[in-house]
Amino acid sequence: MLSATGSPTVYPEEKAEDLLGPLQEKLCACIQCGTCTASCRNAHLMDFTPRRLWRLVLMGQTEEIFHSKTFALCSACYYCTLRCPRGLPLTDAMNLLKQLGAKKDVAGYRPNARFYGSFLDSVRRHGRINEVEFMRRYFILMKNPAIPIKFTPLGIRLLRKKKISMLPNKRKPEYPLDQFFQRVEKLENQQ
Amino acid sequence: MAEKSGSALVIGAGISGLRSAIDLAETGYHVFLVDKAPHIGGILEQLDHQFPTNRCGMCKLLPAVEPDQASQQCLRRGLFHGNIEILASAEVMDISGEAGNFCATLHQHPTLVDPNRCMGCGQCAEACPVEVKDTFNAGLSTRKAIYQPAPQALPGTHVIDLSACTHCGECVSVCPTGAIRMAAADRKKFKILVADEASSVREQLQTLMAGEGFLVDTAESGEAALEKLKSEAFHLVLLDIKMPDMEGVDVLKEALAVQPSLQVVMTTACAAVQSAVESIKAGAADYLVKPFSEDFLLPQIYRFYEESGKGRQRELSVGAVIIATGCRYFNPAEGKDIFGYGLYPDVVTHLAFERLISGTGPFGGRLVRPSDRRPVNKIAWIQCVGSRDLQTDSDFCSSICCMSAVKEAMLAREIGGGQVETVIFHMDLRVFEKPFQQYLDDAKRSGVRFQRCRVHSVACSEDGARLAIRYVDMDGAREALFDLVVLSVGQRPAEDAEKFSEMLGLELNPWGYLAPRPFSLTETSAPGVFLGGAVSGLTDINDAVIRAGAAACGASKAIHKSGGSLETVESADDGRDRDINREEPNILVILCVCGDRLKALIDMDVLLDRIQTEPAVSQCLEVDGLCSPDGWAKMLEELKDKPVNRILLATCAANAYAHRRLEIADAAGLPEAAVQIKDVFPSDWFAGGAPAKEQTPYNTGYVERCLKLAIAGLKGIHWGPAEKIPVYQSALIIGGGIAGMTAALAIAGHGFRVDLVEKAEQLGGNLNWLGRTIDGADVAERLQTTVSRVNDNSLIHVHLNSTVADIRGSVGRFQSTIGEGKNAQTGHHGAVLLATGGVEGATESYGYGKSPAVMTQKAFETARSEGRIDPAALSSVAMIQCVDCREPPRNYCSRVCCLSSLKHAMYLKEQNPDLSVYILYRDMMTPGFYETYYTQARRKGIIFFPYTPEAKPEVVVPGQNGDGASRLRIRANDPIIGQSVEIEADLLILATGITPVLPGDLMSKLRAEVDEHGFFKEADFKWRPVESLAAGVFACGLALSPRLIDESMASAEAAAMRAVRMINRQYLTAGRKIAVVRHSLCSGCQLCISACPYGAREIDPEFGRIEVNPLKCQGCGACAAICPNSATVLAEGSETEMFEMIDAAMGPV
Repeated sequence: MLSATGSPTVYPEEKAEDLLGPLQEKLCACIQCGTCTASCRNAHLMDFTPRRLWRLVLMGQTEEIFHSKTFALCSACYYCTLRCPRGLPLTDAMNLLKQLGAKKDVAGYRPNARFYGSFLDSVRRHGRINEVEFMRRYFILMKNPAIPIKFTPLGIRLLRKKKISMLPNKRKPEYPLDQFFQRVEKLENQQ
Repeated sequence: MAEKSGSALVIGAGISGLRSAIDLAETGYHVFLVDKAPHIGGILEQLDHQFPTNRCGMCKLLPAVEPDQASQQCLRRGLFHGNIEILASAEVMDISGEAGNFCATLHQHPTLVDPNRCMGCGQCAEACPVEVKDTFNAGLSTRKAIYQPAPQALPGTHVIDLSACTHCGECVSVCPTGAIRMAAADRKKFKILVADEASSVREQLQTLMAGEGFLVDTAESGEAALEKLKSEAFHLVLLDIKMPDMEGVDVLKEALAVQPSLQVVMTTACAAVQSAVESIKAGAADYLVKPFSEDFLLPQIYRFYEESGKGRQRELSVGAVIIATGCRYFNPAEGKDIFGYGLYPDVVTHLAFERLISGTGPFGGRLVRPSDRRPVNKIAWIQCVGSRDLQTDSDFCSSICCMSAVKEAMLAREIGGGQVETVIFHMDLRVFEKPFQQYLDDAKRSGVRFQRCRVHSVACSEDGARLAIRYVDMDGAREALFDLVVLSVGQRPAEDAEKFSEMLGLELNPWGYLAPRPFSLTETSAPGVFLGGAVSGLTDINDAVIRAGAAACGASKAIHKSGGSLETVESADDGRDRDINREEPNILVILCVCGDRLKALIDMDVLLDRIQTEPAVSQCLEVDGLCSPDGWAKMLEELKDKPVNRILLATCAANAYAHRRLEIADAAGLPEAAVQIKDVFPSDWFAGGAPAKEQTPYNTGYVERCLKLAIAGLKGIHWGPAEKIPVYQSALIIGGGIAGMTAALAIAGHGFRVDLVEKAEQLGGNLNWLGRTIDGADVAERLQTTVSRVNDNSLIHVHLNSTVADIRGSVGRFQSTIGEGKNAQTGHHGAVLLATGGVEGATESYGYGKSPAVMTQKAFETARSEGRIDPAALSSVAMIQCVDCREPPRNYCSRVCCLSSLKHAMYLKEQNPDLSVYILYRDMMTPGFYETYYTQARRKGIIFFPYTPEAKPEVVVPGQNGDGASRLRIRANDPIIGQSVEIEADLLILATGITPVLPGDLMSKLRAEVDEHGFFKEADFKWRPVESLAAGVFACGLALSPRLIDESMASAEAAAMRAVRMINRQYLTAGRKIAVVRHSLCSGCQLCISACPYGAREIDPEFGRIEVNPLKCQGCGACAAICPNSATVLAEGSETEMFEMIDAAMGPV
């Protein structure tokens, strides 16, 4: 039994192995060589390096992992996957962490998860993106007045260039995507 | 009845092949040493320095006892042994038959240069207009199509690279000895058929090849081609893969049915891998892509033409075969992750780096960048390129690159006067052999920097002048600039591995290497066929030499078993033994005048007059054209019945004749030492025409001085008859573990008596408590079969519960007392083998002894096999590696412990997958194919924590500190997360390594040395790894150094081979270039006894005088240098001789 000294686990109801089990299986051949970190173009923005992230996964340090924004900053460029001497599916592992983060509503990943959620929600309704609706939903979900203010200058610029419209989109989608989403949800639940 | 033969075939003349060949040749067999390359030495020919000495030392492979068997000269220059026939540029095409009676078919590749005539003058290379990349210098420089394969080789015979030669004939016209054959007349007999639909191609090829003198015919369809092939014989067909009427491959198949020996080259305009593979499988000789340029096609055609020549095939009848073809290196340009190799000229492989810093390399030993020849200030080594990389299908370690990188970094710092910054980017540092850890410590002290990480990429720096390396350290990603980047490229299987596997039905391992049988490093599934050296995985020299010895032992046993003779035919020529020591010097001077060229430079009459005034010179003989076979034969004819006792041969290029001294000596009925060869010609004699007189002070006086110097040397030689010492033809083996038993079986397998002394009550040593190896092989079963084979062998006399109480004597004649008291026996042996083994190291660290939950690896193994470990009852197990190891005072790696821990961890994990296993390590030592177990262990979920000796793990035993915890707690630091980690464990297994139990008193009686850790001290770690400097004393197994079971057995066989070589004749003949003591001058100060590194001197108690053991003495001269009275004299190089030579060199002309 192992613990990084002085860090309680974040999800006492679930054992770390169960949560991270599938990830550990993917990553256990890791030799901590650091090729992933040296590959990563976003590493300097992360609060700790991908190498450390993988090490924490193998050690089952759930709290530290989900308190970080390392996995949230992965831009899925696949550079690390290409270079890993062990041939590990590192980008897949990052995605898996993002999914876990969304599912568990982890604080560190919450803005990202809600942003993506609002985006897909809009797509699901209209078959295409409605920017205004998308951002409105996002702001409501975040419940933070500072966020709309932060996005205002960008919104004005986009409006001026006619990249977005303030008018709501009334058109029904030609091919409704709802079924498609339902199917994906079903498949995900099966997993 | 099958005919038996006393000869062996060794394929591959690298280090391993050479060791096997010399071992077998010394033992008395005839050896055919075959290599595809035009030179011997393999990769070692390219390396000037070896770790851990940073020197060469290859000559130590030459016989040390009976040294006159082989020409004692630098082995990188060439090997000349009466029993070894070297067949360079030759390939083994087929081997058939059975152990004891193989028939090997050899194909001799043409080099177009007659080695008997070529003098190595190099004029041909100067004249050659074709320039290609020099593979010897790893492509860092260029060479010509005619070239000298290795710069140091003697004689510097040139060869023609047929894949580059355009047959322009320039070299033929400049060769002074007519050694190059390129007869145009024979080309008319070589018939080529061009089958192609396009008339333009047919016409182009016909014009081109007919212009070179070949007989060319054409066919426009498959049917027409087959018609022509049926009506007349062709040698070569150029066949288009798409014929109008049928598929080219079908034409090929039918053509080969008509003329099976036909060479068919498929041609195509659109190359595809599939069609290439298909045609080669169908029997095509090659596959070429159109359009052809003249420069490309002609060398190909010539290659087929030359290879087709008669007399290229040769059949050899041999009793055993050793495959020692080594391995290839990974080409970084092949993979996707190329670190800029091939893109930036300053990214080189480690082999190229060795050439770069070599004195014979492209830059004359200066440390400069290949791109702009500017000095190098900062070098990076990138480890594990093409090894330990699952992406390049290399789940193995290449074993040697860590040490070679360390060596190269140290050399770079040495060359750069300590100013060159060197960084090695590595993962684990594999220092698994006995002296490597200390070597690594030396490197760290000398300022080599080590960075633990894998390098991500190498790119050009922004200013384009340097190379930027992107890597990661504990603070995150970083970038650093370097002048030169060296890639430590990993191993790949030998090109021929698959060929031999098919030819002999040998097994290949998952990575394509020839695989030995379990518990052996050399035996194969085919009896009589053995693997030597790196063919079954890359090894360092030490390992290669041991494996070569083991392979030689296996081969020797196979030949012996099938009745092959061990006896050598003694030379009938007694001239070699003639005692000229007391004869008045009577010198014959032979001067090669080289046509009129010498006379044009010096006054010949004056020279001859002056030389003749020297009283020791009885005659001067002018000869001409020694470099031609005719001239040489004429000279030998003249020597007959000349009443002289010393000969001085004055020629050009004296080195080229050095190995032919014996021919002259035999012709004149003299010992070899009585013949000296002296270079008296200007050094630039061959450089084209007349020498530049203003550069070299070349005149009659110069030649006279040269000759007088040599005459003075000849006058002083001492060359008595060789002493013959009778030998006890049996061996004493101390230690009855697996190494001792294996050695006993090997020696007894040659028909010699063996006394096997074991102090315990049963044979087997450490194998008695070992269950299985990490490979899953059954140790107990192996032990049982070995013990019963030992007990059943009537030649092996086992002495249990016994020790060797006393031993005296030296090589060939040891007398020992076995056992004590009433049961004591006296033994007479020719050789002594120490196989005393080792035991698990003792420790008091990490709470050992304070809790039953802390145990050693041996205790765990024993408990496990006795069923006292229940994995299901455990939830967490920790292991700590390198306990009291790899740091002073036990500063060596014990090699077996990492594998044992992996074995135990995987066993526990298999039995109980919920069990957590943590291994705390410094560097995981899983060299070679053991790496795959390391990968497997990680895959099974075993967690590894690296630690450093500065920050060792801390262990809290239950009850300690009064905290009432029920389990062990281990605190360690995880460098990746930068935090301290606490592990709770039910069990802690300590890897305490191996300590030797070598009996010191016996060692000093044998005058053999013990190293600082108590292991047997080898004569040379790399080159003579199983023997002591004191001749006749050998060691194997753990007595040498920590090693695995198969490695112990290989060392035992290698040691047995060396021992058999000592005892297989009734007499051993001493070398003649040895020291003698003039007792009348000797004051008995005994300084020489301690000065002698070979323990060859001792004081004779009866007469109180110094005696030299002529078998042990190597003629090094340490005694002569230290002797205050000049009472010790060397056979060649006495003081008188030296002073006379100095006088001659300095005296008036």
